Amino acid sequence: MKITFGLKKILGREKEGLLREKWKFDSKNTLLAPPTICDLKNTGEKNILFGTKEGKIYSLDKNSNIKWIFDAQEQVDQIEIMFLDVESANSIQASPNIYDLTGDGRKEIVFGTEMGVVYALNSEGKPVWKFKAEGSIRGGVIIKDVDGDGKPEVIFGSGDKNLYILNAKGKLINKFEVDESIESMPEVMDDKIIFGTNNGKIHCISFEGEEIWTFKTKDKVLAQPVIGKLFGGDERYIIIGSTDQYLYTLDEQGALIWKFKTEGAIYSKAALADINNDKKLEIIFGSCDNKVYAVDSRGEKMWSYETNFWIVAPVIVSDIDDDGNLEIIAGSYDHNLYVLDAKGNYILDYVPGLAGVMQQTGSYSDITTSEAGKMTGKKIWQYQTEGIIVGCAMIDETKDIIINTQKGYVNNIGYEKKRD
Amino acid sequence: MEKTIKRVKTYIQGLDDAMQGGVPAGHVILVSGTPGSMKSSVTFNILYNEALNGKTGLYISLEQSYESLNQHLSNMGLRLDKINIQPVKNLTRIEEVIHTVKNNSTGSIIVVDIGTIRKEIKDIKIADNKSWLNVIKNVVKKVKMETNCSLFVLDSLSALYTLSRFEDPRVELFYTFEFLRDMDLTTFLISEMPLDESKYSEYQIEDFLSDGIIHLRLTPFRRNIIKEIMVVKMRATNCNNDVFSLEFKNGQFQALYGGQNPLL
Repeated sequence: MKITFGLKKILGREKEGLLREKWKFDSKNTLLAPPTICDLKNTGEKNILFGTKEGKIYSLDKNSNIKWIFDAQEQVDQIEIMFLDVESANSIQASPNIYDLTGDGRKEIVFGTEMGVVYALNSEGKPVWKFKAEGSIRGGVIIKDVDGDGKPEVIFGSGDKNLYILNAKGKLINKFEVDESIESMPEVMDDKIIFGTNNGKIHCISFEGEEIWTFKTKDKVLAQPVIGKLFGGDERYIIIGSTDQYLYTLDEQGALIWKFKTEGAIYSKAALADINNDKKLEIIFGSCDNKVYAVDSRGEKMWSYETNFWIVAPVIVSDIDDDGNLEIIAGSYDHNLYVLDAKGNYILDYVPGLAGVMQQTGSYSDITTSEAGKMTGKKIWQYQTEGIIVGCAMIDETKDIIINTQKGYVNNIGYEKKRD
Repeated sequence: MEKTIKRVKTYIQGLDDAMQGGVPAGHVILVSGTPGSMKSSVTFNILYNEALNGKTGLYISLEQSYESLNQHLSNMGLRLDKINIQPVKNLTRIEEVIHTVKNNSTGSIIVVDIGTIRKEIKDIKIADNKSWLNVIKNVVKKVKMETNCSLFVLDSLSALYTLSRFEDPRVELFYTFEFLRDMDLTTFLISEMPLDESKYSEYQIEDFLSDGIIHLRLTPFRRNIIKEIMVVKMRATNCNNDVFSLEFKNGQFQALYGGQNPLL
């Protein structure tokens, strides 16, 4: 057995610095989804937007001051209210989306509620329009120009088994009926819309509502698909997780390329990034087997990192300490935010003559062994919050991480270089 | 020193003695039995006797109408005029009924007749299959929060399953039972057993989730049918699990060894 490696690789890439809380905001509501970070008025000022189980949308500035709150509570009569799960009747279960629908240079905020109402608010939190579907809206709303007419369409699925397409003014253009409720946020690929349903199907339909293909998984598909050029060429692929515990990669025609098995349901959209500089995209995602996975473009596991509870929220890929290396940011139901080394960690199971040197960080491409070790996830930092983490988002300019917890706290965590 | 557990009597003479005085207050009890084994009568009798002692109970009937129930209980000899019994046949009446119960010094039973409500609103579109479960939860929560209600009977779990489809029974029943426990009510869930008595509940998960199971059954004896009762399980209770004959005499239920029919 021949083993070659450099000293740098043995010692690994040690990170300096720490994560520090900049502020914490108590919404006194229950939060169910990640926040959305945006510049609503194109002034360079970032806003933090999030919905609550109680049916409110909060807009905070970057210092956690409340800019406005919108209450999406619908008036219902005395009988109708008895038929509702009162605690969650108005809940907002997905992140709000933003888009300049009116063309005035300011962005509108669009979101759906459990009562089946989609709202568009202006940048001041005032309603622009609302649309009532027949069933709950639990997934996110996507806003894109699907038909290529230069105007955006507002697309979302509903518990009434319909995929709705509205114009920028909130008027129904088209709806497409499927055989089960839709809780996944759709994704758009050119003029096609891809979404999952609660009977495990992934549908691809045209803007006119024509079914192009379907793919069947074995349980509910609640995650949003992600589309990417996995192998670095022009071919695009659809990557989507299912609660049947598999991550699926399909080609543009809906044919299965590969599937990757985890031990838990996959609830959220995967992230795509070239984390090992191989000019191909790797897939990073969380599962309810408590693990964060990094899978290569061929569906082979690169590494996984195990937390203490489910990972339901999407992960973020970013270089938070600006050292030229990517990190993976994942919030867990175990209340902790984990920052992982995107390249993982190579663990040597046995190295003759090097007893005691068992771990190194970084690329393993220059290590030639006959299976002397394996890749695992490597935690760089960990930050404990006060509740189940339902999602996080990043302020790109400052690299601050905004964490939403189910308990209603919004934490702003920032990277800080190690002090002397 | 062992903490004394507050108990709610079943008002079945002999059975309470077999359970250290009754079922622990706040427990969720499955009352399981074949048709005609007096599940509704036994559970209503608990609410009735507690109401005679000034307590408030909630009885939600999913199929049997209030009139049918009332007639049956009157035939049994229960003096319903001695308590404040309040039917709810229209959900808009719930506030009014709660107001009456709050302002009444005698014990009360609120009977929510879901069967009649269902008939009234049969043409109204209901959003999803959890709607009737939501109605039950909302009524329970409202009554519990606004009155001093301490007892709840759901008649029956089996009927609830036909009204509300449980996609994932294990998960959904867990949350439903936890909801009932959080309400801090002593709850009796009536479960219709198949004639072959092969299981106490539809999904059998209810057996594990409940704090206690009281089993009622009909047993042929010569040319008679004997009603029998037994405590299958009762958490936090040192109980006698023997099978008793169940008889109703002089306005009172009795659990007997033998009874009208001799022990073999």
